[in-house]
Amino acid sequence: MRIQSEGAAEAMKVVKQENIKLDGSFAQEIAKLSGENVFLCYQCKKCASGCPSRMFMDSTPTELMRYAQLGMVDEAMKKNTIWYCVSCQTCSTRCPQDIDIAHVIDTMRIIGQQKKIKSDNNKLPLFNRLWMTMIKYMGRAYEAGLVASLNLFSGKPTKDMALGMKMMKKGKLKLWPSFRKPFATMKMFSRAKKLKK
Amino acid sequence: MKLAYYPGCSLHSSSVEYDISTRKVCAALGIDLVEVKDWICCGSSPAHQYDDLMSVALPAKNLAMVPQTEDLKQVCAPCASCYSRLKVAQQRLKDDNLKKDVETVIDLKYPDDIEVLHMLDVVTEKAGIEIVKEKVVKNLAGLKVACYYGCLMTRPPKVTGKKQFENPTQMESLVEALGAEAVDWNMKTFCCGAAFALTKTDVVLELTKKILTDAESSGADAISVGCPLCHANLDGRQTQINSKFKTDFQTPIFYFTELMGLALGIEAKELGILKHLTNAEKFLNERALV
Repeated sequence: MRIQSEGAAEAMKVVKQENIKLDGSFAQEIAKLSGENVFLCYQCKKCASGCPSRMFMDSTPTELMRYAQLGMVDEAMKKNTIWYCVSCQTCSTRCPQDIDIAHVIDTMRIIGQQKKIKSDNNKLPLFNRLWMTMIKYMGRAYEAGLVASLNLFSGKPTKDMALGMKMMKKGKLKLWPSFRKPFATMKMFSRAKKLKK
Repeated sequence: MKLAYYPGCSLHSSSVEYDISTRKVCAALGIDLVEVKDWICCGSSPAHQYDDLMSVALPAKNLAMVPQTEDLKQVCAPCASCYSRLKVAQQRLKDDNLKKDVETVIDLKYPDDIEVLHMLDVVTEKAGIEIVKEKVVKNLAGLKVACYYGCLMTRPPKVTGKKQFENPTQMESLVEALGAEAVDWNMKTFCCGAAFALTKTDVVLELTKKILTDAESSGADAISVGCPLCHANLDGRQTQINSKFKTDFQTPIFYFTELMGLALGIEAKELGILKHLTNAEKFLNERALV
């Protein structure tokens, strides 16, 4: 007994008030980009309970909200959590504080891609870049090209090959892209770029 | 009734049968679909997690093309993802600053009086279940269907405006009007992992397996869907699921428009059902629906 209480006394810490700081800049950055206020979250765990993808994530959406509140940027951005969100909107639908959590996660992904933060990102930045490039130059998505280029760039050229062959046989994959007034979408992208500057 | 029709990229490729059956069914119901002039991709899965401005501008451009398509004011999308992106854009464009930016990007005036409908809304609400019931020539009696909505047809309710978003019943009413039985099950709004179909297929297989398992244990013979991505995962990946989890799923997945088409007396072949990858033809043969 005596030893234990002595140990406890030793482990007790005195925290100086000036060391308690809260860095709200990450939360503010999210608010500026998305209009969402992560400080409204009171950790009820409804989002985590309903999340179909939580078993694949390093942290739950509830923990993610806490990291955002506390400015724990590395915990939020360098783990796989944000990259395993399936955008199913269950959390945003059920949040009692009306935080659009899926939108917050989208915003974190945009920040992560712009700042090129390294993480277990599930090849999603590559997927996004390829698809958006396709829209820019073709106006529409070109599925066969998307699958082929994604598999090629991620080093798995034969992934889903059998499925692709079956789909092709059934006439479910268009081999050639359709160009729909590509200059119109290219102009849209360049106007957007100018606007952002 | 004349509506602008926004098929979306998937309906021109991997889910061409949804496009075919939608057009056939609408023609049978007297709904005139006019394809939106020069439509472009809505931005689907990538835009909203890559470029916020473009994720609104791409659907906004399509909405702006609606009045230029025979002066129409209503647009319908069969794809749940397209529907959702169009609706989200409408919601976001209530912000005047964003609207100004988007109008600069699309170089068109954004019309704020367009009504966006999912194809299921069109047949159940605009045409009406009663009208569908009257047109049924081949009752689908004996068919047990699990109606699967997935995520974006109902969620988030702030965007879709749906009152029943956890337990929707629109498709059940439709399926029952066709004479089939709609089973009670748990996974009707559970996610199939659509956005990860190409990048993280393991997630898709896991989630899709849960949906197929629940449908089967609820006594359903088939699943009815209203989204090309749900269909691609549930129909296309059953072989992969069976080999990964040592299961034996042979569940045919139908678009609700295909079930409607069958009940309205249109041949399965004409509806494009034979393009499915899992068991559709055999299933319909056994039930004398071909």
